[in-house]
Formats: sequence, structure tokens, C-alpha cells
Amino acid sequence: MAGGATVESAASQRRGNLRAYGILLFISFYCAVPFLWVLVASFDAKPSQFLRWPEDVTFSNYSNLFVNESGMLWLLNSVVVIGIATIIVLVFAGLGGYALSRTRAWWKAPLLYAIILVRIVPPPALIVPVYKVMLTLNDGVNATINAVVSDPSQALFLSRIFSFVDGYLGLILVLAAMQLPLAIWIMKTFFDAIPVDYEEAAALDGASTLQTLRRILLPLALPGLAAAGLFAFISAWGDFLMPLMFTSSPELQTLPLGLFRAFLRIDRIDYGFLTALAVIYTLPAVIAFSFARKFLTRTFSGGVKG
Amino acid sequence: MVGMTLSYEARKQLYLRLLMAPALLLMAGLIVFPAFYAIALSLTNEALLGFAARDSSFVGLRNFTRLFTDPLFWNSLKVTLIFVIGSAVIGQFAFGLLSALCLRRPIRFKAIFNSIIVLPNAVPEMVVGFIWISMYATGEYGTLNRIVGWFGVEPQQWLFSFPLMAIIIVNTWRGIAFAMILLTSGLESIPKDVYEAAKVDGATDRQIFFRITLPMLMPTIFLYMFVSTVTTFAIFGLVYTLSRGGPANSTEIIGIYIYNQSFTAFQLGYGAAVAVVSLVISMLIGVFYVRALKVKI
Repeated sequence: MAGGATVESAASQRRGNLRAYGILLFISFYCAVPFLWVLVASFDAKPSQFLRWPEDVTFSNYSNLFVNESGMLWLLNSVVVIGIATIIVLVFAGLGGYALSRTRAWWKAPLLYAIILVRIVPPPALIVPVYKVMLTLNDGVNATINAVVSDPSQALFLSRIFSFVDGYLGLILVLAAMQLPLAIWIMKTFFDAIPVDYEEAAALDGASTLQTLRRILLPLALPGLAAAGLFAFISAWGDFLMPLMFTSSPELQTLPLGLFRAFLRIDRIDYGFLTALAVIYTLPAVIAFSFARKFLTRTFSGGVKG
Repeated sequence: MVGMTLSYEARKQLYLRLLMAPALLLMAGLIVFPAFYAIALSLTNEALLGFAARDSSFVGLRNFTRLFTDPLFWNSLKVTLIFVIGSAVIGQFAFGLLSALCLRRPIRFKAIFNSIIVLPNAVPEMVVGFIWISMYATGEYGTLNRIVGWFGVEPQQWLFSFPLMAIIIVNTWRGIAFAMILLTSGLESIPKDVYEAAKVDGATDRQIFFRITLPMLMPTIFLYMFVSTVTTFAIFGLVYTLSRGGPANSTEIIGIYIYNQSFTAFQLGYGAAVAVVSLVISMLIGVFYVRALKVKI
């Protein structure tokens, strides 16, 4: 009877595996099919809205993107804006997470709860008031620039960089702010796991707090910073609402806005251009995600559960 | 000589406050203050154009009385609720749990299945909307129309005939990976000997799933529901690219309703009132889950 039972369970095991293959094939089909069109059409000499095998395979959609269209400018804008925003997040969240982890005060727990609530504020709910805040800051910045610089072309250049509306600075800061709550939580939980003894030993040896941070805590915190930085990068890189709200000049456009506006040329949508742009825009996110994957579970359970 | 009288610990605590200041200031300035400012704006007739743009005035709760009698606002709440339940609570969760359970079996090509399922999660929301427009393209050459054609179904105008279902399918597609990854880690934390004991006692697969796996997975499921409901509630770009809330407001989730009221109809005060309602809803969800999850700090 015992033998019979194992034979039966082997058969049911095989049946279960077959069912698993079937389910996984179905889900993989669902997940993979939408990508076919964007990949294939970007190499098609005569692409359309429909998925089809190209008669002529070409790289001209990609070269056109960088040579004739503003693809390079959009890519550079995205790299600069998201890059600086990510660095700001890393520095602020690194210092802030460390400080929150080591602080002993009655307001620590309320503050940490507040950061969770800040994290779940839906960005669309903020667009009106943030827009008003940014306009006010913008007036201040431009008044300062006009007071300091008299040459109008110089003033325009400075205003492009430091403006809060239709300038780099505003977009960078607002993107960084949105990523901060999660990044701080990641860093705080990370520093919680690093014993305080290291710092105390360094302090006994006469190291200043900044020296301790740089020489001892920074190397220990690198995995946490990697996770925080990757998540901030992916989320800011994929964000569409903030560029939509805060950029209007063509020379400031980042990739998502370039893609969106190219898509709005309803009368003459160039699908080769669009799909090549979409592939270029997607690649950095996919690469970052492949590195970030292993942090995903720990971060989300850590970030919410503490 | 204050510095001399402070102990090492007291000086350190002061220094720590300085270190957290930049992060707290940035969040306070661009998230917390605007959130409260939304309340103030919602009590005015602030607008982008016209008289009220130059000279807005306090109108009390007028925006809110208008809001609660506005069928479009209730429509947007209903659409949001269906969208969140359909994609986050049911779609992503069901497919994510199925994937996680199947990938635990001793089968081949696990890494390949895994990468394919994870891929949609890595794609920027703009691109998601964009590639699904091609999937849903009308006419017999549209990709989805060709697929359903294999089963003898007539070509459909997906984004016109089933708009809300269409965006639910897209968001489900995007979020399977997150559910799968989180639930996989939850499944791994269930001790193996519980299963062995159940098998010795002659429990069937179905009994094992409903009496052991599901109850022991509950904390992870709860955490997943929290993160996915709040992120789905906050979605904007994905639906905006696909449908911009249309046709006829059928996909106007709350984020899009706020945007349309504020920057298409130019009624900032009214848009802010909708924003306040959405803030209150997400804070309530947040407080509920934080208490229920017993977040320890």
C-alpha cells in the first residue's frame, strides 16, 4: 500500500507540474506579447501601429532619433535631471536615515509614522498646491536673477537652470522630494542593523562625526544606498506627471515628455521614431530594475513593517 | 562654554537633528506644506483664467457642496474603486499568487518564466500606455484582435467598448511581478515541516492550500494589499496615456479627474477640493493599515 501511495503521488506530482507549465506559459504570454510590437517596429523600415514582421530591417529609426530629431537632447535632459535628483535623494536619505536611526527622542516614533503617511500621499493630489508653491518660488528666483545679472541672455540661461517652473532646479527638487520617504525608510532600517559600537569606538579614537560617517558608516551603508538609489532612480525615471506639470520649453524636455508630445502629433505619428524612442527610454529602467530586484522584498517589507 | 558642559551623547543628538534637516525640509516644503495648502485652496474660487485668476476669494465650503452633488466626482470615485479592486486586489494578486505557487514546483525554465513575468514592472508608465495602445488597436490587424480571432471572436474596439476593463488589464499586467515577488518571499517563510506533517496526516492539496498556505501567508497578503492599494490609488500617467479619462469619463480615475478639473477646466479651487478628498482617503487607508500591521519602529 505504501508503494501504491508513492506511485499515485508521483503521478499527481506530474499532473501538478503540467498544470504549472500551462499556467506559467499563459501568464508569460500575457506579459511578453505587448513588448513584441515596440521591439519589432523600432527596427522596421515601414512601421505601423500594428504588429508585423518587417520587410526591411533597419537601424535608421534609431539614427534618425539621434541625428535629425532631439532624441539626444531629451536623453541628456533625463540623465541630468534624474541623475541629480537621485544623488540628492542618496545624500539626504543617507544622512537622514542615519540620524533617524540613532536619534533618541519622544518625537521619533510620531515622525516615522508621519514619514509613512507622507510616502503614500498620491502625487496627483499635490499638483495644484505644488504648482502654486513652485510659482511663488519661481518669482523669487527670477527676481533675484534679474537683480544680479543685467545681460538678458545670461539671465535667461540662469533662469533655465534655477527656475522652479520650466527650469531644471524645480523639476529636480520635486522629483527628489517624492522619492525621499521610501529612501529614508530604507536607510533608517539599514542603519538600525549596524551596531552603534563602531561609531563609539571611532569617537573614542577622536574622530569627528563627519569623519566617522565618511570612513566607517559610508562603506557599511553601501548596500542600503544601492537599494535606495536604484528605487529612487527607477521611480523618478518613470515619472510622467512632474515633467508634464513643470516643463514647457522644448529644450528642457525629458524623455517621457518627448515621447508623449511625439505621440500627440496625431496627423503624422512616426511609429519608427516613437518605438525607437520608447526602447531607448525603457532600457535604463530595465537595467536598473534587474539590479534592484534582489532588494525588492526586503525593502518593501522593511519599509512598511519596520 | 556650552560645548564643554554638554555630554558626548547630548552633542551627538544635536548633530543628528542637523543631519536629518535637509531631508525633512525638502519633504515638508514640497509634500507636507502643499498637502495642507490644498485645504486652503479648496476653500477659494482660485482659477487659472478669468477674474478669479487675478483675484481669488474665500468661498467657504462651496467647492465641497458642489463636489458632493457632482455626478462626475461620484463617477470618478466609483471608477477608482473598480480600478483598484479589479487590478490591485484581484488581478495582480491572483496572477501573482498563481505565478509564485507554480514557480515553487520542481519545474524547468524557472529563470526564464521569472524574467518574463518581471519585465512589465520595469517599464516606465508612459511606455506601458503606449505599447498597450498598439495591443488594443482597432481593426482586424490589432494584436489583441488577432489573438481573440484565434478563438473565433470578432474584432473589438477595446478602448471604446470596454474602457475600464481595458485599463484594469493593463495595470494587472504591470503589477503581477510585485505581487509574485512579495508572495514568493511569504511562501518561503512558511516552515517545511508543517507541510510534511499535513501530508503524513493525509491532507489533500486543496486542504493544504486553504488550511495551511493561505492562513500562514496572511501577513504577507495584508502587506501586499497595503502597498498595492495606495500605489494604484495614486496612478496617473498610465491611464492618462491610454485614455486620458475617456471615453465619456469612463476611465476618469481620481488622479485624472483632479488633473482635468485643474488644468483642463482651469478650476484650481475645485481641483484642490477633489485633491483634499483623495488625500483624506489615502490617509485613512494608511492609518488603517499601519495600525493593523502593527508597524514597529
